[in-house]
Amino acid sequence: MNGLKTNNAPHSSVVIPHFIFGGCSFLIVAVLIILANTNLLEAYFNSKIIAITHMAVLGWATMIVFGALYQLIPVVFETSLYSEKLAKITFWTSAVSVLYLTYSFWVSAFTTHLVYASVFMFLSLFLFIINIVLSYIKSEIKNISSKFIIASIFWLAITEFVGTLIAFNFKLNFLSEIHLHYLKIHASLGTIGWFLLLIIGVGSTLIPMFLISHQLKKEKLVVSFVSINVGLLCLVLNWFIFSNSVLTIICWVVIVIGVISFMSFIYDSYKKRIRKKLDVGMQYTMLAIISIILPIIVSLILVLVFKIEYELLFRITTFYGFSIIFGFITTMILGQTYKTLPFIVWLEKYKNLVGKTKTPLPRELYSSKIAKIQFYFYVLSILSLALGLIMKNFLAIKIGSFSLLIVAILYNINVLKIIFHKVKNSNNE
Amino acid sequence: MNKEQIKQFQEETLVLLKNVMDPEIEINIVDLGLIYELYYDGNKKINIVMTFSTPACPLGETIKTDIIETIKHKHPNFTTTIDVVFYPEWNTTMVSEYGKQILGL
Repeated sequence: MNGLKTNNAPHSSVVIPHFIFGGCSFLIVAVLIILANTNLLEAYFNSKIIAITHMAVLGWATMIVFGALYQLIPVVFETSLYSEKLAKITFWTSAVSVLYLTYSFWVSAFTTHLVYASVFMFLSLFLFIINIVLSYIKSEIKNISSKFIIASIFWLAITEFVGTLIAFNFKLNFLSEIHLHYLKIHASLGTIGWFLLLIIGVGSTLIPMFLISHQLKKEKLVVSFVSINVGLLCLVLNWFIFSNSVLTIICWVVIVIGVISFMSFIYDSYKKRIRKKLDVGMQYTMLAIISIILPIIVSLILVLVFKIEYELLFRITTFYGFSIIFGFITTMILGQTYKTLPFIVWLEKYKNLVGKTKTPLPRELYSSKIAKIQFYFYVLSILSLALGLIMKNFLAIKIGSFSLLIVAILYNINVLKIIFHKVKNSNNE
Repeated sequence: MNKEQIKQFQEETLVLLKNVMDPEIEINIVDLGLIYELYYDGNKKINIVMTFSTPACPLGETIKTDIIETIKHKHPNFTTTIDVVFYPEWNTTMVSEYGKQILGL
């Protein structure tokens, strides 16, 4: 019975609100991108871009990740979540905090609201960290996937700590270096330490499961785990203490080895898959995996080329962040929503009806047509925004922004369709 | 019940279990090759030895419930027990020709 922990799954009232809030946040992000207008072409540290980034990574990505992770703990840790009550409290405190934090950035309230907002955010994320760590402690299985998740939780704590320090520094001005130095560390910790490690941890379990592939080389994941963690640790220490450019390149190489090792694991899984045809959820997922190459190339430019004029450097940096948040993270989340949410709702609504009446399939809980249209608009929006940011072309940015808004609307329609699905059986059909 | 009747009952039950779908793969569990053995003792007790496509399958309990309820619907007074094993590991050679067609193998 190893691994069959359906009964350990948390109640849907713990998970579903995260998907609703995450969907709304995605919509807000799309609207903010339109409202930001020409600010998108300014330096990456302007308040509008920082506001959009935090809404995207915390309100959209992290909220969905929280919800999905609560559901996946029984699968990956093979134990139940430590506290469902704590998870519900975390949801509400996180939701309020992320809205407050985004508002603080948007209106440039760096010396007033931002300090309070960052403290609320820190405490909210800390509650989440406690819940996951305590779940891990009571778990008997310590496999490579769960180690990735725990490592990502550790980096999330450090990311938040650095973020809060920056927020306090706006008011108290006690840090020795300029803000951009710490912003670089904060962003690298968040994207590589939190999101990348978490996605690898969860993806290494879910992707082979959805592709139905067996006999994969787990050693590749061990290489990935060690490389990314060691590389990131060295990188952060170098930035804080040594500031050695050669060491930065070495750290970059070590991290990239880890990322390529994970990509190689997924490629094996893809090659050995039993289900040949990819559904829309797996199309997004595979696109996300391929798109990891983009930030690797862009970061190589940032690491190797020392003399870049500021204007171009800022543009490349904005593009680097965009390629991670939208090219990789958002693509992965859009895909995995279609793989996980229908099952979560289907299990909740039909687990007591299976075998007694004819039940629909989980994929029938959403509109495949809407999902397909959403996919095409998403590709259009990503390509347009990427082109617009690189070429400094405002028309391309406009097309990309409005396409992203359409994506967010279609995504929300399908998410709500899944969540508010009415039970169908032979009695009411 | 003689041996022939028991064998026939077992085969009929396997056909009945073709109504149980793996909701993710969208193929019934018999054609998918998830049922390793099905015993009938001739006295209203059925034992099934089966596997899942992956040990981490979050739908495992639901599939088991589906099997038990499907048999109960046809044979209300029967008792069904299910043993889940992961050895031998499930692979594509266990999938029927019909299942392979659907999977595109």
